[in-house]
Amino acid sequence: MDIDLIFKIAAIGIIVSILNQVLSRSGREEQATMTTLAGLVVVLMMVAQKISELFDLVKTLFHF
Amino acid sequence: MSTFLRVVGAALIGAILALALRQQGKELSLLLTVTVCCMVLAAAVTYLETVMDFARQLQSVGNLNGELMNTMLRAVGIGLIAEIAGLICTDSGSGALGKAIEILAAAAILWLGIPLMRALLELVEQVMGEV
Repeated sequence: MDIDLIFKIAAIGIIVSILNQVLSRSGREEQATMTTLAGLVVVLMMVAQKISELFDLVKTLFHF
Repeated sequence: MSTFLRVVGAALIGAILALALRQQGKELSLLLTVTVCCMVLAAAVTYLETVMDFARQLQSVGNLNGELMNTMLRAVGIGLIAEIAGLICTDSGSGALGKAIEILAAAAILWLGIPLMRALLELVEQVMGEV
C-alpha cells in the first residue's frame, strides 16, 4: 500500500495539463497532443503493473 | 485496523484528486481511479487471505472435497475481478463494455460449474437406478 503512487499519478496529470495549455497557447498543437499522449502512456505503464500485481494476488489466493 | 483506515484515507484522497484531474484530462482521471481501485482491492484480498486460511481449516475438519471448494473459490475470484473491471468500464463511459464483462463473468462461472452439475447428474442417475 503506497499512497505515493496516487500522488505521483495526480502530479503527472497536473503537469501534463499545464504543459498542454502552455504548448497550445503558443500555437504548438501537435506537441501538446504528443505531451498528453506521453503522459497517458507513462501512467498507463504504472497502472498496468498495479493491475497485474492485483491479478497475481487474486490468482494465488483463489487457486486459479 | 490501521491498514483499513489508511486504505480508506487513500481512497478518499484518490477520489478528490480524480475529481481535480477530471477538468483537465478524463483519461488520467480514469487511470488514477483504476490505480486506487487496484490498491484497495489488494488490501481487501490481503484481509481475505486469513479468511481463506480459516476456510481451508474448516474444509480439512469437515473432510470436504477440495475440488469442489477450489471451484467455488475460483468463482468468487472471477466475480470479484469482473465486477470491478465492469464498474471501471461503466465509469469511463462505455457501459456496453461493462455489461459485456458481466456477461462474460457469468458465462465463465457457469462453465466452471459444469463439472459439478455433471457430478450431481451422475449421482441422481445412480440413485434413480438403485431405486
